[in-house]
Amino acid sequence: MQTSPEITLHPVKFTGSARAYFGVWLSNLLLSVVTFGIYSAWAKVRRKRFFHQNTVIDGRRFDYHATGKQILIGRAVVFVGFIIYSVLSAIPLVGIVLGVALLFAFPWFLSRSLRFNARSTSFSGVRFGFSGTYWGAFRVYLLYPFLALFTLYLAYPFVIRAQKNYSLGGHSYGTAKFTFESRIWPFYKAALLAALCSIIIIVVGVAFMFSAGMFVGLTEVLNGAEPDPTQSLIFLAIMLLVFIAVLPGYFIYSAFIRNTVYEATMLEGGHGFISTVRPLRLMWIALSNAIVSVLTLFLMVPWAEVRMARYLADCTDVEVVGDLNHFVGVESDRVSAFGDAFTDMEAFDFGIPG
Amino acid sequence: MASLADRPVSFGTLTGVASRAGASHRQPARYVIDQSGARLVGENGETLVHGMPVRREASFGGTLDLDLPDGWRFSTEDIKGARAVLGEEPGAWLSNLESWHPRLVLVLIGCLLGAYAIWRWGLNVLVTLAITVTPPTLVGAIDRGNLSAMDQFLAEPTALSAVEQARVRGIFDSIAAAAPQSDFGPYRLEFRDMPAVGANAFALPGGTVVVTDDMVAEFGGDDILAGVIGHELAHVSEEHSLRQLYRSLSVYLLIALIAGDVGPILEDVLLEGSAIVSLSYSRTHEADADALGVATARVAGYDPAALAEFFRRLEAEYGDGGPAWLSTHPANADRIEQIERLAAE
Repeated sequence: MQTSPEITLHPVKFTGSARAYFGVWLSNLLLSVVTFGIYSAWAKVRRKRFFHQNTVIDGRRFDYHATGKQILIGRAVVFVGFIIYSVLSAIPLVGIVLGVALLFAFPWFLSRSLRFNARSTSFSGVRFGFSGTYWGAFRVYLLYPFLALFTLYLAYPFVIRAQKNYSLGGHSYGTAKFTFESRIWPFYKAALLAALCSIIIIVVGVAFMFSAGMFVGLTEVLNGAEPDPTQSLIFLAIMLLVFIAVLPGYFIYSAFIRNTVYEATMLEGGHGFISTVRPLRLMWIALSNAIVSVLTLFLMVPWAEVRMARYLADCTDVEVVGDLNHFVGVESDRVSAFGDAFTDMEAFDFGIPG
Repeated sequence: MASLADRPVSFGTLTGVASRAGASHRQPARYVIDQSGARLVGENGETLVHGMPVRREASFGGTLDLDLPDGWRFSTEDIKGARAVLGEEPGAWLSNLESWHPRLVLVLIGCLLGAYAIWRWGLNVLVTLAITVTPPTLVGAIDRGNLSAMDQFLAEPTALSAVEQARVRGIFDSIAAAAPQSDFGPYRLEFRDMPAVGANAFALPGGTVVVTDDMVAEFGGDDILAGVIGHELAHVSEEHSLRQLYRSLSVYLLIALIAGDVGPILEDVLLEGSAIVSLSYSRTHEADADALGVATARVAGYDPAALAEFFRRLEAEYGDGGPAWLSTHPANADRIEQIERLAAE
């Protein structure tokens, strides 16, 4: 019997500084403004390259290879489509027909977009790939969410798992395929903990408001009496409470889902991933980032983004079976053997889910 | 093969790391340029490849990467040295602009000035351009589509008598003759019974004006109808609804493009802010339409101040709504004041 090869744990490191990114960010902004937004395609490339090239595993870097021209063509297609759609939507029936057509085109754009992004990304000179299909995207982003409606969304964690399976399981590194396999419980756990946290905050908040006498006279208002100004503040307070309650829930959910998804993802050859994001820490970083950004009239946005990238990198490790050099080398050889068949002209680069 | 720098600027040696496409092995190497040409030299002094770089690029990892012939790649951290030997790489101006330097203050000022210029003048240029290329057939289709949708869901055929219709049509024709013409064809009048919208008149962008039965019943005087129709035709000839459509589209796209990469919070702030600003834009349009409507009614021989009477009665019946800055229409009192001032001139 063969002894199983040793597993090496490689931490992911982020090496970019806020100071270096500030110049990139500000130059992007200036050039985008003076070109009426056209430069934003190249700005995206600069930004992606900054974050990719500063993400390092064992001295090897990620890289981003899309060109500004590819992004621009993709954006021009979306842009023209959006204008045509908006103007034609002013004709009522046409608007509905176009809306339905767009709904069915959405999975196509999504799978194209995932493929483009994967193929534009490399680690140590070897490109990623994505092989998810139109119908795969159609099922997990349109059909399943629609069906979940009939379970009053109680089955929604299954939908989320299917989406992660589609987006992650469709990826490859060189010729090595990613696989995604997870039990359903962690998805329910994340949703339940998030909901529980939000509900507790709301209950405590309402109890506090009640004991402070904020609801006195409210029944009369609901029955049509003229509210006095202090009473309309109650609605503001309730909105604020909901906001405060939803935030921790969101971060608890995000952190748990990220950790779950990394644990459930494997790369062919037995390589695994570890994510140790802590919800409270994530929330602290995100909230303080937002507050600092607003207080500095957004000048600290680059610092905030770099800080978040560094935290997420610090929470991430890769478990490599055997030697990373060897693995990358094998993939590199295989890829160059069948050539780089990357011919996409255009990039559809809108929001990529998880 | 055309290389980016066929001739080196000076002789020299760069130290760094070399690798070859299709092989992950990386080795320390030197890139040497001297009398005998440019070449990549390995650890033990062996020549790996001859030739000048095909491509040079500064990476954010703090290296300058050279693509050499035969799929060799050489990375050096000695960027200054590389520039001394090979000259500045293409795109170096961008790396220089991006580097941490007091000059960035100027870049920041440039951003603010540029954003102001786009908001102040750029948007109007975009909107005017978009209106110029809009085919009249499309605008006509917008009118027909909206009218048929209204007929399906909101409106019943008019219950006005033929005599009453003829009277209003007479007012409409004389106002349409006195009003500035529209680029999208002749003005057309439609009568509808629309209990849900009450006493109202509105214009579609292609020149169709709908007058409700309640409007004729409640405000049926010749002078008031002339003023209201003049106001609606002004919306059409000044292309107000198209301008608002194109303006909000342009604002949305520009914010998404420019601020999308800046950060999510700023994007939201800008979108909300622009929604409020666009309300003020709509209020300006209403005031402009009042002014033009008054002028048109006067030319057509009707009492120009009657529109003020309309708003006064509207206010008495329905009151004024909400804070002005959150409204699509100016406050009635302001409109009455403006109309009476213009009518008295």
